Amino acid sequence: MTENRNDLKKIIMDTKTLPTLPSVIYKLNSLSENDKSSIQEMARIVSSDQVISARVLRLANSPSYGFYRVSTISNAMILLGVNVVKSLALSSSIFAIMEKDIVGLWEHSLAVGAAANIIARKLGLPECEEIATAGLLHDIGKVIISIKCNNAEKDILQLVRDRQIYTMEAEREIIDTDHAEVGGWLSKCWFLPDKLSEPIAFHHDVAESKNHRIKTAVVHIADILISASGFSDSGERFVPPMQKIAWETLKLNEQLLADIIDEVEDKLIEVKNFSLEIMGN
Amino acid sequence: MQKIPLNNAKPGMVLARDIFRGDSPIGIPVCGKGTELTEPLIARFANMDITTLYVAGHPVWEEGGQSIDDFMRELDNRFSKTLQEPLNVMLHNIYKTHLIKSMGGESDRKSE
Ligand SMILES: [Fe+2]
Ligand SMILES: [Fe+2]
Repeated sequence: MTENRNDLKKIIMDTKTLPTLPSVIYKLNSLSENDKSSIQEMARIVSSDQVISARVLRLANSPSYGFYRVSTISNAMILLGVNVVKSLALSSSIFAIMEKDIVGLWEHSLAVGAAANIIARKLGLPECEEIATAGLLHDIGKVIISIKCNNAEKDILQLVRDRQIYTMEAEREIIDTDHAEVGGWLSKCWFLPDKLSEPIAFHHDVAESKNHRIKTAVVHIADILISASGFSDSGERFVPPMQKIAWETLKLNEQLLADIIDEVEDKLIEVKNFSLEIMGN
Repeated sequence: MQKIPLNNAKPGMVLARDIFRGDSPIGIPVCGKGTELTEPLIARFANMDITTLYVAGHPVWEEGGQSIDDFMRELDNRFSKTLQEPLNVMLHNIYKTHLIKSMGGESDRKSE
């Protein structure tokens, strides 16, 4: 009924038809190869674009990260890391296009970012900021499907409603791929590191994640907690099954999970307020 | 924990979060969580332009708002596809307990 998977992949990977990403993003990508010395250069480039730096700082101060105030880009680079700032610059540009239309998905993403951060901290994992970022970006494939294949998106939502199935199942039926795979393609296109692209591509199939299974497992569980709590409308009506491999990878137990859920539920009030504040202006 | 506008605050409610001057987390803290609200305290917050606060439990119910039964029904519905999965059954129970607790159910009062 629509393009087949390969055509779709071409459409999606064609960055020229992506809603124009600011040139800052391309400059950042060209810098990513050479490391340390480029940090200052990156901070300078991001700061030079007021719209981008405002968006990055706004996300850096979102409940997905635990810091009270990140006021400058160099500060964000130090506190969150270069990778995170780079992906925030990218994702905020993508989200900016959608913000008003898909409030539900935006709130869901913020909430999963915040939940992933809480889980990572509770488990004492390294690189909590990267994990939070992976959470924030995990459903970015849905945003792209919505931008690039608006009609398909409507059919998908309809199918989910009519047959009471998961979004993934409907996506496979209609576009022969799913938002996780699309997110994976997109991360490749954006040169995101594996520790971000694996959780994005495999958050519904943790076993497929080979190099960053712990991070993927955190995002998988964070996603399930947010759908279990019924927070916001991401288009998913049912809680997906929590995968045993994720549970085992993180060595979770019932008490620990209950503590995490208490903390996540508290945090969700903040996420809601943050999103209302942003939508308001 | 519930976020409420200051004009819904009543003596006897208990703060679930610290209150900061100017409603900002970098403002000067003016009142700590765990404090029980009194009329004079509420008046003082009003003078400091505090507009919202977080209180323990779920003391304010909106007209026509959802009841605990409504929330429970929605929760059951969200889990209806996965109740044959042991991990999801456990998850479902944790959320049920949390819901009862956060709505000011039986077990709550002492712990908060
Ligand atoms: Fe997803
Ligand atoms: Fe999700």
